[in-house]
Amino acid sequence: MGTLRKFLAKPEFSILLILAAMLVLAAVLQRNFFEAKSLGRTLNAFTPLILLAMGQAVVIISGGLDLSAGSALSLLTCVLTSVMHKASPETGAYAIAAALAVAIAMGIVNGIGMGYLRIPSVIATFATSYIWLGAALFLRPTPGGESVAWFKLFYDVKGYAKAPPALKACAVFVPPALVLVLIGCLFWLFISRTRTGRYIYAVGSNNTSAYESGIDTAMIQLRACVINSVFIFLAALFFVGQNQSGDARMGDPLTLRAIAAAVVGGIALAGGRGSVFFALIGALILSLVNKIIFFANIPYPYQTLVSGVIVIGAIASSLAYTFYSRKSMTRRGKLA
Amino acid sequence: MKVLEASGIRKCFGGVVALANGNVSCQAGRITGLLGANGSGKSTLSKIIAGVYRADAGEVRFLGQPVQYRNPNEARKAGIAMVFQNLSLVPDLKVWQNIVLGAETARGPFLDDRQARRAAREILDQLLPGLDIHKLACELNPGEMQIVEIAKAISADPRLLILDEPTAALEKAEVKSLFRFMRQLAERGVAINFTSHRLWEVMEICDDVTIFRNGENVGSIDFAADGRDPEKIVSCITGVAQKVPVAKASRPPSAEVALKVEGLRYGDALNNVSFELRKGEILGIGGLAGQGQHELLLALAGNYPGVDCVAEADGRRVRLNRPANAIRNSILLVPGDRELEGLFMKHSVFNNMIFPKLGLARQPLFTPRRQYREECEAAVGLLSIKTQDLDTPVRALSGGNQQKVVVGRWLSFDAKVLLLADPAKGVDVGAKRDLYRHIAGQVRDKGVSVILYASDIEELVDCCDRLLVMYEGQVIATLEGDDINEETIISTSMRVR
Amino acid sequence: MNGTSLALAGFRGTADKQKKLIIAFLLIVFLFVLGQVTVSNFMSFAQVLLTIKLASFIALFGLCQMIVMAGGAAGLDLSVGYTATLTAVLTASIMDGQNANLWIAILVAVGIGLVIGAANGFLSAYVKLPPLIVTMSMSLIVQGGINVYTAGADITGKPSPVLQTLAAKSTGVFPNILFVLLIVTPVVMIVLSRTRWGLALFGAGTNETAAFLGGVDVKRVRFASFVISGLLASLIGLLLLGNMGLAFKDMGSNYVMPSIAAAVVGGVSMTGGEGNYFGVILGAIFLQTLTNLLVAIGWGDAGKWLGFGIVLFTLLIVYVSDRRVR
Repeated sequence: MGTLRKFLAKPEFSILLILAAMLVLAAVLQRNFFEAKSLGRTLNAFTPLILLAMGQAVVIISGGLDLSAGSALSLLTCVLTSVMHKASPETGAYAIAAALAVAIAMGIVNGIGMGYLRIPSVIATFATSYIWLGAALFLRPTPGGESVAWFKLFYDVKGYAKAPPALKACAVFVPPALVLVLIGCLFWLFISRTRTGRYIYAVGSNNTSAYESGIDTAMIQLRACVINSVFIFLAALFFVGQNQSGDARMGDPLTLRAIAAAVVGGIALAGGRGSVFFALIGALILSLVNKIIFFANIPYPYQTLVSGVIVIGAIASSLAYTFYSRKSMTRRGKLA
Repeated sequence: MKVLEASGIRKCFGGVVALANGNVSCQAGRITGLLGANGSGKSTLSKIIAGVYRADAGEVRFLGQPVQYRNPNEARKAGIAMVFQNLSLVPDLKVWQNIVLGAETARGPFLDDRQARRAAREILDQLLPGLDIHKLACELNPGEMQIVEIAKAISADPRLLILDEPTAALEKAEVKSLFRFMRQLAERGVAINFTSHRLWEVMEICDDVTIFRNGENVGSIDFAADGRDPEKIVSCITGVAQKVPVAKASRPPSAEVALKVEGLRYGDALNNVSFELRKGEILGIGGLAGQGQHELLLALAGNYPGVDCVAEADGRRVRLNRPANAIRNSILLVPGDRELEGLFMKHSVFNNMIFPKLGLARQPLFTPRRQYREECEAAVGLLSIKTQDLDTPVRALSGGNQQKVVVGRWLSFDAKVLLLADPAKGVDVGAKRDLYRHIAGQVRDKGVSVILYASDIEELVDCCDRLLVMYEGQVIATLEGDDINEETIISTSMRVR
Repeated sequence: MNGTSLALAGFRGTADKQKKLIIAFLLIVFLFVLGQVTVSNFMSFAQVLLTIKLASFIALFGLCQMIVMAGGAAGLDLSVGYTATLTAVLTASIMDGQNANLWIAILVAVGIGLVIGAANGFLSAYVKLPPLIVTMSMSLIVQGGINVYTAGADITGKPSPVLQTLAAKSTGVFPNILFVLLIVTPVVMIVLSRTRWGLALFGAGTNETAAFLGGVDVKRVRFASFVISGLLASLIGLLLLGNMGLAFKDMGSNYVMPSIAAAVVGGVSMTGGEGNYFGVILGAIFLQTLTNLLVAIGWGDAGKWLGFGIVLFTLLIVYVSDRRVR
């Protein structure tokens, strides 16, 4: 009973409550919400934000912020569609390797800026977002590019004629989008059990204390940025699978939404707190909100407004909740 | 077996000599106490041994080998663990995660959490049974945090454990628990270095004690050999004083009350403090370091919105819940930690000096530059502040001159009550003399009343008309006239008599 | 000390602060020279004036950023873009190309700016939510509001001729917006360095504890900084309208990030307490010059942003990186 009450008092509980409420609302407004087909479509629409939010959460927990995530995503789609040639299926593999390499390089650059050079992450990632944008425009001045046919596997198995029937059968239950999200989850699950995972929380919670305990704080922040890049990479695979083309600007609106999703999911902007899996839930909540607004037949012009107000409301209440329910202690090496 | 021997250690910070000749030796299985006033050098010596600072001269030998650690981590790996006073826990991690932080064991790529929890449980059961190791560090009270800090140091299995004022945040029961554990550790052969300001603790747990004063050892007592006699310790500390002669107010203070405080309470720090400050008197606040003196001055300056007290300045009720209120009633604070509380290091001398004027009501929207500049020039001259000009950033000044800037801010105000929180800390002798001369002048000529807290007892003895001795947030004694001398102050502070 | 030596002493003392300004200025000169070498006509008088004209808007928004950044506590105002847009959209139809309603338009602008600024200030300074989130969300709400407004009807209206003259036209060869900037700059400098509020703001940004102990109401000072930022952003919206000749939904949003970059490049500290408006102007000119140069070289969009990002990042390493001293 004691543990149950402790759980109820945690902010995580209220987030789950909000998710449940959203799901109910969504089901009410869209009759066929829980049908397999429409659930699949819903999941497909939500996947990019989910992956980006999870990656962003890791960076925020480590004490930073990544404003270049959207541009990074765009750049990766451009890389993929530039390396691939429709005619040769094996270029797909090269493209994946190239994109992963670029993603890791981007993470390293951000990590060096934030961790080693100690440039405030807001302005550092603002700068790098333009570097990624420029590179993306260089590869793809206009949206386009090529994609091999089997890339569709990342989005919709049925769309790829040559897929083995066994795979197609599986895909009914486990759509590719879900697989990508699962890969992301397993990736983080693995890391969270290692030293790096623990240290990401320590560094974000109090950088000085972590340093004085012998932790290489700069390296940890770099690793957090690289982990974020991997999530962005997964999202890029999905996008190219879906659209078969690369676009240097497609990621722009996603950056702030990913940050908002993380905050809604209980990630503290100050760092050191929150669960990456709840950032996933935060992304679900945010996406459901949009869906609900759409299906509630709220007149289109009001949709942005309502969406904005709800985002603020969710963030403010989650922030206020954690603020008032915690005793204040030291943050970032400064005694309260 | 001698685990540690430090000899001839010397350390200066800026121009101030913190440690002139520090010596201590620690033996395996024995608990060595370090005793001394704040600024006597004992903390500095401990920090040098633990690798926080680098000694300017002298030698530290650990396990027979000369050593010099570049950071506390190196020292920890070598077997010297130090528990600090400012806490180094990570707030959002659990107790057991904090204890093993930086030294986690792993099975393959994954952390061995079960082992970590077991080890944490084991250590904590001896120190503070019943503490939930799954609590987050930020959910602990200060006493529990200190225990966890100690547990963290011990988990590294050190040969030498340095505890710097570990009992400051602990309740009596927790202290007893800690002592039991220290005894067990000692029996296992660990050498322990223990600092405390509570005489009864040093008497109870230590096997021998080394006494510090003014940056060097002034005595060593082996309790086993010489017995436990508090008077001996007091006389060691008192020693021969070096006087900085400052003219005391030659006329007795008037009977008028400048500031009256009743029942001042604030959290754990201040407990029912009441006193009266007479016009034209210098009231000292004494006692061992960290007994609430600093907090008292901050409270009187209006720094604590939640403070609970009845205060009257010049007969008028004052609500001490905002600094602006205190300032408007001419109760002015010269803060103790000038870097943290007093100065804008990046800003110029001028900006720093005129800053308090901004808080006053009825000040013009546009600051009258010329008038303020003239006032600042006057202040600089009066206090002999050595600065290139008014626009030099204060961080370029020496500590003493920075402190003069802090004092100089209030010169153009008509202060009625001046609160001085350790004004001469880290200040060289010449600047110290200037400061006190100026303060004495203010008292004499303008009838300003002063509440002075100084960590250096000499300053209190030289300047004060009356002295309140504080202990754990309360005023335990009031000394007057001839009673204001070092021996009486120290023995009262330590509650010997 | 007589007057001259006081002045000289003052100059020597401030040389440290001016270092960043000098660097910014030299960088601009360097860029211009580089441009002249690689592309002919880069440094023509007309080109320079055009650059300054474009940079002026960035500099004006940069002023908003400087004010909230100076107060410390990670101050930032991401809502300036849409605040300006909202004002432009609403006042366009009020003015409808006439001077008659200009005063009403200004009042409306002031109202909008104060309301948005007060909301930002309240949530940031009193409720203590992170300004990044507060102003980002406010930006979303205002954007939503604009959508609502423009859904019912198209955006109609034109700015009054006064505004158009002020923002778009030139007197002789000098763009008028330059004069606006020339008037605004000394006003800002005086307010920030010579009034109670300005000094209190910088104090709060440098050392919150010392400011509080000195009697400053830190929360109120920070609240005021957001209100002023909102007010300024709204008034800039009028100028934007005057410059473009009409209002559209994305008028202001492209200025937000460059305004922050201009402030940082100009030496405004993101943690507070430091900043000089002249530096922000130089920062804006630098950013605009860089953009022009990259376009002139013929790198097109890709090169422009790539170069922009790399240069900014490099500059940040030099200016802002706070390598831990151990």
